Amino acid sequence: MPELGRFSRELRARLWKPSVTDEVSDEIRAHLEQLEQDLVARGYSPDAARAEARRKFGNLASIEAECRDIGERRDEEFRRQRWFDEMRQDVRQALRQLRLSPRFAFAAIATLATGLGASTTIFSLANAVLFRPLPYTQSDRLLLVNEVTPEGKTFSVSEPNYLDWVGRSRSFVSWAAYAGRTVTLTGDGEPEQLQGVMATHALFATLGVTPLRGRAFLAEEDVTGGDTRVALISQSLWERRYGTDPATIGRTIDIDGSAHRVVGVIPQGRTFPEDVDVWTPLSPSLEYPRGDRRLDVIARLRDGVTREQAGAEMTSIAEELRQRYPVENEKWSAAVTPFRQAFVSPQFEMRVLALLATVVLLLAMACINVGNLLLARAAARSREIAVRAALGAGTGRLVRQLLTEATVLALAGALVGTLMAMAAVPVLKRMAGDSVPRLDDVSMDWRVLAFALAASLVSALFFGVASAWRLGRSGDSIGTLKSGTRLAPAGRTRNGLIVASVALATILLVSATLVGTSFLRLMGSDLGYDPSGVTIANVSTENSRYDSERSVEFMRTLINGVATAPGVEAVGAIVTPPFGALNYAQGFIRAELANPTRDGYRMGSWRVVTPGYFEAVRIPVIRGHVFTDADRESTDISVVINETLAQQAFGEENPIGQRLASSNGQVKTVIGVVRDTRHVYLDSLPNPTMYWAHAQFPAPSMWLAVRGRGDVVATLRAQVKALDPLLPVASVQPLSALVADRAAEARLTMLVFMIFAGAALVLAAVGLYGVIAYTVSQRTREIGVTLALGERPSRVIARIVGNGVKLSTVGVALGLVAAVAVTTVLRSILYETQSTDMVTYAGVALLLVLIGALASAGPARRASRLDPVTALRSE
Amino acid sequence: MPADTELLHGTLDTLVLKTLAWAPRHGYSIARWIESVSGQALQVEEGSLYPALYRLERKGWIVAEWGLSDTKRRVKIYSLTPEGRDRLAVEVQQWQHFANGVARVLLHAEG
Repeated sequence: MPELGRFSRELRARLWKPSVTDEVSDEIRAHLEQLEQDLVARGYSPDAARAEARRKFGNLASIEAECRDIGERRDEEFRRQRWFDEMRQDVRQALRQLRLSPRFAFAAIATLATGLGASTTIFSLANAVLFRPLPYTQSDRLLLVNEVTPEGKTFSVSEPNYLDWVGRSRSFVSWAAYAGRTVTLTGDGEPEQLQGVMATHALFATLGVTPLRGRAFLAEEDVTGGDTRVALISQSLWERRYGTDPATIGRTIDIDGSAHRVVGVIPQGRTFPEDVDVWTPLSPSLEYPRGDRRLDVIARLRDGVTREQAGAEMTSIAEELRQRYPVENEKWSAAVTPFRQAFVSPQFEMRVLALLATVVLLLAMACINVGNLLLARAAARSREIAVRAALGAGTGRLVRQLLTEATVLALAGALVGTLMAMAAVPVLKRMAGDSVPRLDDVSMDWRVLAFALAASLVSALFFGVASAWRLGRSGDSIGTLKSGTRLAPAGRTRNGLIVASVALATILLVSATLVGTSFLRLMGSDLGYDPSGVTIANVSTENSRYDSERSVEFMRTLINGVATAPGVEAVGAIVTPPFGALNYAQGFIRAELANPTRDGYRMGSWRVVTPGYFEAVRIPVIRGHVFTDADRESTDISVVINETLAQQAFGEENPIGQRLASSNGQVKTVIGVVRDTRHVYLDSLPNPTMYWAHAQFPAPSMWLAVRGRGDVVATLRAQVKALDPLLPVASVQPLSALVADRAAEARLTMLVFMIFAGAALVLAAVGLYGVIAYTVSQRTREIGVTLALGERPSRVIARIVGNGVKLSTVGVALGLVAAVAVTTVLRSILYETQSTDMVTYAGVALLLVLIGALASAGPARRASRLDPVTALRSE
Repeated sequence: MPADTELLHGTLDTLVLKTLAWAPRHGYSIARWIESVSGQALQVEEGSLYPALYRLERKGWIVAEWGLSDTKRRVKIYSLTPEGRDRLAVEVQQWQHFANGVARVLLHAEG
């Protein structure tokens, strides 16, 4: 039996193993001694024999060294081999065990996959939104610098204030100001409307972005009167429109009807602001009105200056400027905010953080449930383990076996979970669309995979420790073997775990319901207009070929043409569409109260519209009337206001015929009051809004709103082309899409919370079922006895279901208490929904108790149908 | 010791395997056995024997355990593993192939 011989040798080698050094020197010394003895026997003197033996042997030290070297490598390989052998054996054993109980394996892997899949998905999202650094040099040293309105909101900056800031501040090494605008590119093909920005020369130097080709702006290019007919273009525009032609740099292109020389190309992914294709110079001027705030400002902190210090300095500079220019700067201040907020709003950050917190809860639930499954299994297997221990398997070996099993489970769960996440991430991305910041570059990257792996290994350790701990308690293996029954179940631990799991599910469900309710209320909130059936499109005459008079005339002709086209019900135009990128705002006050101290002005949105706009989007007229074609530049300047503004400016008085003053001093007559509309924020009260007539305030770029059936887009394009083939029709889309985009973040949050809620519900149900089913199988004999003694099966059912309900009730109670505390963090993302909404809490409680009852119904019915005789014979 | 009786490089490993195919032995006795069976035609260099043994052990062709020699000295006794036996068969075949080739060249009659 060579195999047995080998084992005995290995056993002995393990029992008594000298160091390699001793082994080699012992062996060689024995050799030399024998050689000497033989030589003596052949007649050598002892001394001569020793010398001869040494001579024959050769260089003792180097031979010993060589042997030691080989010996050490031999031992190392042997150890590694043994480790791998045992590992393979463990894995094979684990797989066999899992195959033997497929229901357990399925439950455990599904639970883990749910937890890991959901957490990996959310981590991908969080990674894209929160953690991945912005593509600019040391972006944490960049700040947004804003003016702050008397109401305490951040606002754009006026040119003189900007120049005074730059002159006075010491906190920053570099400043840049910019203002967005749309530009029309003509020549080299179809006319195209693009996102453009006017920026001071230091913009890209401040960001730390080097142009891909050419150069950025020079200081002299934003001095008024300098050569400002230069432009930077984005890499994507360069590739798309100019075929990556190097000669593009230096040539002139036609922007808004005037020639600009292209001086550089900004690399893909490092444009700022994002989605901008054309940059032209901006020269802020002290001559410009101090009250007209339209610049956005970024600045890079000087080394050693903190954000707080910079903020304090800006506040004090704003104070100085307020005293110096009390008219324009009355009650205005300044503030700095992290640069990241140019990309991700604090509210969206909050949403993602809430989701991350939820992930932790779900992952904890998954771990608890699988741990519980493993504990139950360890108890059921205590006999098998005792047998193996009795056959000589060491505790370490057994623990390793259990850890291997847990790791195999965790890795399988991680694999399935990662596949789920890989499927879910593109779906989320598609649902979110372009309207959720920074989500277009969400992807599964190495950090996400690392997270999944780390999470699964932590779980493995958790389960492993759980079942090993269970094993430690079954230390008396002989007792276990003799008893012939399974160990008394560690019921309290498992009950505790399932209660914790139900409590976590309660928190998740309450949070999800709150977020869901909030979303439904948000979607159901009254916009004040009817976006369905309305198509919007931007037509811009921002072009040297049009002066304001021709712009107005063009728009009037276009609208009249579209209005008479078949299928069109109503058409009008507005300067910026609802939920568009811009909100124009100005201070207002009733004219009698206006005085030079400027006290009492309130901020209101203003919109330039054509007469047909109100009808096209169905904004009801409450009082008076809206504009007509009779409102011309020459006639009295009139204004239509919304209910909120009417209330704020005139209280209960009839506003029709009253006069309203703007912060720039202009006075207008109120001719009508219309319904409040939500056109800036979906989730806050409607802004006070004033509407001005396009004929009196000619804006070159207008958004047409066309209500109608059939192909209104084709009609619109044909009409524009007939009037001026060089004008592009841009951003054509249903108005409802803009509203949906505005709700995209809320919808995303809601969907993810719903996924979590579903997963939590499944996990809670599976966990409860597992525990109840296990308890029932443990008590088979006891139940058999009571049935044999004549107990009615219905009583058995009642007792078991009662147990399930009791467990879930305790869990729900704990969870509700925790939810009250936990959901306070959700407050900032909830819309018209209290975080302590009683209906939500009661509903969730009822649902989970019901789940507890349902999960125990199956095992209970099985128990009640037990044949007492069979039950008694069972172990 | 005449030069032509020194072992060809590499053949020592084969001879050790062959020796152990008969019975487990310790290092000293392996050397003496080879010498006596070869009629003293082959002289085992004691210095290269032990590295060869460790090498063979590392490859898993032989295993060692501690035992007692005839002189009651504690020694490492080597024995052949099944893998070693397979290896020996391969090496014997290779050696025959080689020896036949050499013989054919050396004994080739001109013409």
